Amino acid sequence: MLFLDLTINGLIMGLFYALMAVGLSMIFGVLRIINFAHGEFFMVGAYTYALISTSFGINPWFTLPMAAMGGALLGMIVERTLIRPLYDGYRSWSFVKDEYAVVVTFALSLLLVHTVDKVIGPSPFMGPSLFDLKRIAIGPIMLNGQKLMAAGVSIFLLIGLAIFIKNSLWGKQIQAVAQNRFGAALAGIDPIKTTSLIFAIAGGLAALSGALLSPIVNPSPDIGSFPAIKSYIIVVLGGLGSIWGSMFAALILGVLESYFAVYLSYDYRDAFGLLILIVVLIFRPQGLAGQKGREV
Amino acid sequence: MNSSSLKNSRLWRNRLAYDFKCFFVIIFFLCLLPLLQLSDYTLGILVVAMYFGIVAMAWNFLAGYCGQFSMAPAAFAMLGGYIVGLLDFHAHISLWVSMPLAIVGTALLGLGLGGLVMHLKGPYLSLTTLSFAEISRVIISNSHEYTRGDQGLNVPTLMTDRISYYYFFIVLVVLVGGFIYSLMRSKFGGFLLAIRDDQEGAESRGIDVTRIKLIAFAISCALCGFAGAMYGSFSQLVSPEMGLLQQTGLVISMVVIGGVGSVTGPLIGALIVYLGSEWLRDVGNIQMIVFAIIVIVFARFFRTGLWGLFSQLMQRYLGKSASS
Repeated sequence: MLFLDLTINGLIMGLFYALMAVGLSMIFGVLRIINFAHGEFFMVGAYTYALISTSFGINPWFTLPMAAMGGALLGMIVERTLIRPLYDGYRSWSFVKDEYAVVVTFALSLLLVHTVDKVIGPSPFMGPSLFDLKRIAIGPIMLNGQKLMAAGVSIFLLIGLAIFIKNSLWGKQIQAVAQNRFGAALAGIDPIKTTSLIFAIAGGLAALSGALLSPIVNPSPDIGSFPAIKSYIIVVLGGLGSIWGSMFAALILGVLESYFAVYLSYDYRDAFGLLILIVVLIFRPQGLAGQKGREV
Repeated sequence: MNSSSLKNSRLWRNRLAYDFKCFFVIIFFLCLLPLLQLSDYTLGILVVAMYFGIVAMAWNFLAGYCGQFSMAPAAFAMLGGYIVGLLDFHAHISLWVSMPLAIVGTALLGLGLGGLVMHLKGPYLSLTTLSFAEISRVIISNSHEYTRGDQGLNVPTLMTDRISYYYFFIVLVVLVGGFIYSLMRSKFGGFLLAIRDDQEGAESRGIDVTRIKLIAFAISCALCGFAGAMYGSFSQLVSPEMGLLQQTGLVISMVVIGGVGSVTGPLIGALIVYLGSEWLRDVGNIQMIVFAIIVIVFARFFRTGLWGLFSQLMQRYLGKSASS
């Protein structure tokens, strides 16, 4: 039953990708920019989690929310200092907006990676497990205890986020601002506060993804680059700006990757994402959930 | 009034000509530099700075003039270097044959990658090139049997002498700068600027936006590939490290600090950033931290970079303008 095993493990990886990609997609939906520092939210989460739990010996279940708060705080600081001029000042300069967003978020990503590299050091270290059981067998499926726990937490978070966006007042504000920023402002929604909230959610979720994966992947300063690239592929696959599309696409990518790594080639498993990206761009450039002809 | 309007410093043509004159002033000083009896080590640093200058000019050609943001300049330089290296390693083809092949190969890769995304609006180009850059680097470092992985490949050298390489790279910089200048003077350059400033407007005036963007991207990739091949032959080694995102970060810093949308800006930026990063590496390996902060500050407050500040000063004191 290798196939079932791979599917489940792929779905679990997909859940972690989804935690990152959803934030990226929300940011794109509201501001029409890509946050190239998204992988660094992941990295900050992994480091906060691993450092606090190992150096103070705090139960990992308490450091997990701390990592999320660290990521959320970082997201809000980034929004306040770097992203806000995008929609406050340069409103009429459309190409300058793209230029500014690309340059600033990319520079921020390098800044965070190299600051962590300098301050904490380049060598990777491991975060503590949430659940101390090396192997669990559920029927024919072999699972790592940490992975199972982390997957549970991610499912809980993703469902929580879906309910939050669909039903809560803040979630409805996010939807409104994503649809029409100006119209939302006319209806009495503060777009600035909403954008800040979106960055906090995006940062927090990416950081949680990093924290949950840190016992498995051994965080080093550049750990965020591959999850970030996966989530760029996912947001294109899911349709830029679509939250549900990116959740779904993350699961698809996770499963396909896990098949690819076993059935075709383990060494080139990361390259498979590019192949998917190319196929999507050729056959369905608007992504799975995007409408055709929609201006993005 | 008529003759003065031809000399109007706000005209794009005149700004570009002024820009190109300043470019030659810098080249002139670069030519004189070896008179200071520089060591081979310093000359080597200057050569690498000029390699980055070419890549920065190529990136600026796409980003500053056409408004399209590729995240793979360093990756295309790496690929150009690897085309030369692989052809030498497996087929012992001389550099004079493999170098044009590197240009053509990277241009074709650029056409293929650009063909996928250029008809789409939005950040697709940045996303795709970023994924392409990271994944092509991983493929190269994983394919041990063909590329020797992280050890890198040897590349044949053209000349043994540092000083002749130095002047050779000056010639290359002049060629690339002149090429970009002549393109920007032509109608094609006008199309690029129109697309950058208003894509819908350009489309409505009958410009084939997708095709022009695609050609610009392919030219930019080919220039990067060319620079990478030449760099490989200078350092006699190409390795996957040439394509690190950090290198792309350096290239973007050079353009943003030097000045987006000019010929001189990226060259000044490349010289300043590369020499500065060599110095900061000695200080304590903090070059990327410092440059990332400088880039954020420049992008936020001095969008036109050093070149823009310089030409504003010139305008104030001499009545000349050259910013774009």
